Amino acid sequence: MSVSVRATALLGRWRWLLLGLTVVGLLGYLIYSATGTSAEYYETINEMKAHPSDREARVLGVVQDDVVRSDGGLHIRFTAAEGSSTIPVDYTGTVPDIFRPGIQVVVAGKVGSDGVFHARTLQTKCPSRFSTASPSG
Amino acid sequence: MSAAILGAAFLLTALVLDLSSGVLALTAGVRRDPLLARVARRAFYAGATGVVGASAVLLYALLSHDFSLAYVVEHSDRSLATPLVAAAFYGGQEGSLLYWALLLSLLGAASLAAAPRLGTRLPAYANAILAGLAGFFLLVLVFVSSPFDVLPIVPGDGLGLTPVLRDGGMLVHPPFLLAGYSSFAVPFSFAMAALWAGEEAAGGEWIRHTRRFALLAWALQSTGLVLGMWWAYHVLGWGGYWGWDPVENVALLPWLVTTAYLHTALVQERAPGQLRAWGFGLVIAAFLLSVFGTFIVRSGVVPSVHTFAVSPLGPWFFGFFLICLAASLVTLARAGRSAPAPQPASPAAVSREGTFLAQNGILLALAAAVLWGVLLPLLSGLTGRQLVVGQDYYERVSAPLFLLLLALLGFGPLLPWQRAGQTWLRTLRWPLAAIMLTLTLLLAAGVRQGTALLTLPLAAAGLATCGLEYARGTLQARRLAGRWPVAFVRLAARNRRRYGAYLAHVGFLVLVIGIAGSHAWQQQQDVQLKPGQSMTLAGHHLTYLGTREEQQGDHTALIARLSAGTAIYEPSRLTYPGLGDQVVSRVAIDSGVLDDVYVVLTGTSAGDGVSLRVFVNPLVSWVWVGASLLVTGMVLGHLSLPLGARQNSPALRPVPARTT
Repeated sequence: MSVSVRATALLGRWRWLLLGLTVVGLLGYLIYSATGTSAEYYETINEMKAHPSDREARVLGVVQDDVVRSDGGLHIRFTAAEGSSTIPVDYTGTVPDIFRPGIQVVVAGKVGSDGVFHARTLQTKCPSRFSTASPSG
Repeated sequence: MSAAILGAAFLLTALVLDLSSGVLALTAGVRRDPLLARVARRAFYAGATGVVGASAVLLYALLSHDFSLAYVVEHSDRSLATPLVAAAFYGGQEGSLLYWALLLSLLGAASLAAAPRLGTRLPAYANAILAGLAGFFLLVLVFVSSPFDVLPIVPGDGLGLTPVLRDGGMLVHPPFLLAGYSSFAVPFSFAMAALWAGEEAAGGEWIRHTRRFALLAWALQSTGLVLGMWWAYHVLGWGGYWGWDPVENVALLPWLVTTAYLHTALVQERAPGQLRAWGFGLVIAAFLLSVFGTFIVRSGVVPSVHTFAVSPLGPWFFGFFLICLAASLVTLARAGRSAPAPQPASPAAVSREGTFLAQNGILLALAAAVLWGVLLPLLSGLTGRQLVVGQDYYERVSAPLFLLLLALLGFGPLLPWQRAGQTWLRTLRWPLAAIMLTLTLLLAAGVRQGTALLTLPLAAAGLATCGLEYARGTLQARRLAGRWPVAFVRLAARNRRRYGAYLAHVGFLVLVIGIAGSHAWQQQQDVQLKPGQSMTLAGHHLTYLGTREEQQGDHTALIARLSAGTAIYEPSRLTYPGLGDQVVSRVAIDSGVLDDVYVVLTGTSAGDGVSLRVFVNPLVSWVWVGASLLVTGMVLGHLSLPLGARQNSPALRPVPARTT
């Protein structure tokens, strides 16, 4: 009697363990596959130039003075720079209000055959918390 | 006396009082000395008073434009409206730390004042932990990052505030989020104290005490998250309300874990002992995640567009996090070894307890997936090039988990406690019917979007289940009370726990419908219009009438005017000449039950022309309504009387749903 109870309990415990492992495995696979398809490199312009690839990447750079807006403000071309290395960027979409020369931006996209970085998204780094510290340069 | 000296004196006094309170309380707990515990508690109250004093000094300095303080200069100026000047209190780093210490002190004091029924040891240990946590913030405030630093030369005016932050939404969502973060400390302290003291000393009363404060933290955090979404939607102009940015994600983490805990607490209360270690773990994890979130936000170790709070305090918070983590792990491990939890008869997998466990599992899986997304840049950065994941990742991982959660919500509440018999299968016909009906209607209406086809029928099942429970309850109560509206109100009022929970579920379902709708059917169009021209998007016909310029205080507004039937849209662009011609857009939104029309002025062209980006966002108002119901229901549900007190009255017995 007691042996069979213990056996059932043991079986029950194994069942839970198995269930737990299955769940964790499924979750792991879910996270792994989603990471695989949507992870992008986050890098500076120098790093991007050091590792040219066809994959999409997010690149951090400072907007230079040559911003050209067209299409009613929804299309922009500018040069992003990190120190002395630069890259031309082309972006179509809503331009954040605080976008302007001197500010840091993060563009996501990839370099086309024309050598221009075609950005799918453009985000500005918030200049600061609650102060005006206007970006210089 | 100058504000700087007075404020700094208050902070230093509070630090000394808190540290002494911590040492005394610890001693009182070890020696089981009620007198010493009282002294320690009073020292904590006195420390809290000191923090209140320092806060009052800072607020007064801000409002009176006392530019001898660096903090006042950096975060305000004379032109700002008074509420915005007051908001600068928590807007900067030093002030936000003081705000955090203030809330921790006040909530800690309230929780200790409400705790005498818990005996001597447990409140004494909780006091020691709370004093230690408050002491950390005061230490940083006094020695590293003081809001009372003075400038050598007093300038005539301050530096002001970034225009994008000059908005009502900015006034309210950060204080709620910060309050949420800081209030997780109270349930954490009591859970840890219960482990230190051996909880039998408190007779389980501490569970209710802890749950009340966990609920408060949950409600504050929820409100902060929703107001943040509201602000992003109404101000940022990208047409959405949730961007899966690390700053949003880390605020979501403790929220998810606390939601799991609040459900577990229901099981714990029915059957003390069940899921006990699990409950401790969740409360502790929620607090650790809130500290972790603060570290992530403050340190800037993870790439985010929110760099507002990046500061040299990163290492301090990391150290604080490590200490809390180590203390929690040691405590949990020791508690696990010294008192192996008694294994009560474990309920069947198909039972209400089973669904609670499954729900906990899904919420934690969501938290794990989000945490991985936040940590990936850090972890990959250690081994090589930094990898980041975006919105795409979070949608992929959260969608299946949300669907499981919805399915659980549709069927779980119908399952009986302990063990499901044969009859429960029959009760499932209602949600199943709701699924079939919704699916048929959607397909007949020509809907082919996967998101909508999966989400909406499951949400309908959930609503059917909640409706069924309300209807059954009302019928049951009607036999006793007479007319049904009276019966319904009585039932809901007396049985707040149960019906509050269903209200929260309805709120969550409405929220999910809003998210699914705005996700699946959002439409967007960029147009350039001359006066008199019009455009049509998703059945909304907008005519552009013209622009005008207005001088509004320190900025110029360029306002475009559009009409759609009786509705008038006035999106605008504000230019601040005093801030280097910085431009801020003001979005025009017309919210309806079915959809929002969302107009952004992106630029102007020759001849009075404008370029606009127009969104039609379906069901976004459902997001706000659903979230409000969720918070209201959760608060009502958990504030009700303890279970034991209610069971004597016949009308209040849980409705025997599946016995007939």
